[in-house]
Amino acid sequence: MPPAEPVAAVPSDAALIAAWKGGDEQAAAELVRRHARALARFLGASGSGASGDADVDDLVQETFIRAFRALGRFRGQCRFRTWLMTIGGNVLKDAYRKARRTRVVPLAEELRDTEGDPHEHAVAGEVEARLAAGLERLPRMQREVFLLRAQQGLEYEEIAGALGTTPGAARVHFHHAVKRLKEQLA
Amino acid sequence: MNDDQLEKLAQRLGARAAERLDVEATAQAVIERLRAERAAGERIGLWLPRQWLRIAAALVIVVGGGAVALRIMGSSHQSSASAPADLDGLSTDQLKQVLEGVGESGGEAVVSVQDVSLDDLNTVELRALLESLEG
Repeated sequence: MPPAEPVAAVPSDAALIAAWKGGDEQAAAELVRRHARALARFLGASGSGASGDADVDDLVQETFIRAFRALGRFRGQCRFRTWLMTIGGNVLKDAYRKARRTRVVPLAEELRDTEGDPHEHAVAGEVEARLAAGLERLPRMQREVFLLRAQQGLEYEEIAGALGTTPGAARVHFHHAVKRLKEQLA
Repeated sequence: MNDDQLEKLAQRLGARAAERLDVEATAQAVIERLRAERAAGERIGLWLPRQWLRIAAALVIVVGGGAVALRIMGSSHQSSASAPADLDGLSTDQLKQVLEGVGESGGEAVVSVQDVSLDDLNTVELRALLESLEG
């Protein structure tokens, strides 16, 4: 029986961060590959539609650039992905401001999507659009806590570490967010 | 709508944006930008030492010039202030020589014959003058 091939260990985020700091570009690329989709989902749900012509791809790219610039300040208070999403929140806020200045009205995401049954898309998209609109109206802390918890499935301790608050406060933000969203979707 | 339905709906939000994202292109774009930033940082790194050298050279000139100026001013003050101290160190004979030297070089210039009339002299000075004329 031939000896089993050794399984290549998957490097941790911390190892990739250290490698990037040492000048390894591929480590940075791997971090992007690993977290880009989750970040895009978070940004897409956070109301990137309201950010004008800056599409999710641009926001994801900008978030990674800012994160790599600020890696020296990342102390492992939460997971790299969670930290990345808090940076994404800042990127989104800047995009909002820019959009307000340029007054570009974006196309709703469901109207841009040309694949699948248009009627189905319209029905499913209608509820999502109302939720997205509700999320945009929430205070930033409530919105981010809600998405990190409901969409990303993070624990309150992790969310609190990323947002610089306490788990108890994060829990309160989440419940306020849920209450307001339900009111808006009713 | 209950909490579970809301969470499921939230999980669907942004899903299409995530699916549409070209991850590899994003990774390459990020790397390109980081590479460009690093190159720019290195250019600044090369530029900075030259600037620092210029600043350091300017400082050396200013501080050195100031120190030389202070030394010159200090020495002129010191020479005038230390003259009496130097005289204190001289012996009686040496002091006489100095006084004679001063008399030879500047005595006549200070008080010329034309500047002083006999009316300006008192009795003692007149007597001394007569004695000197008699030999």
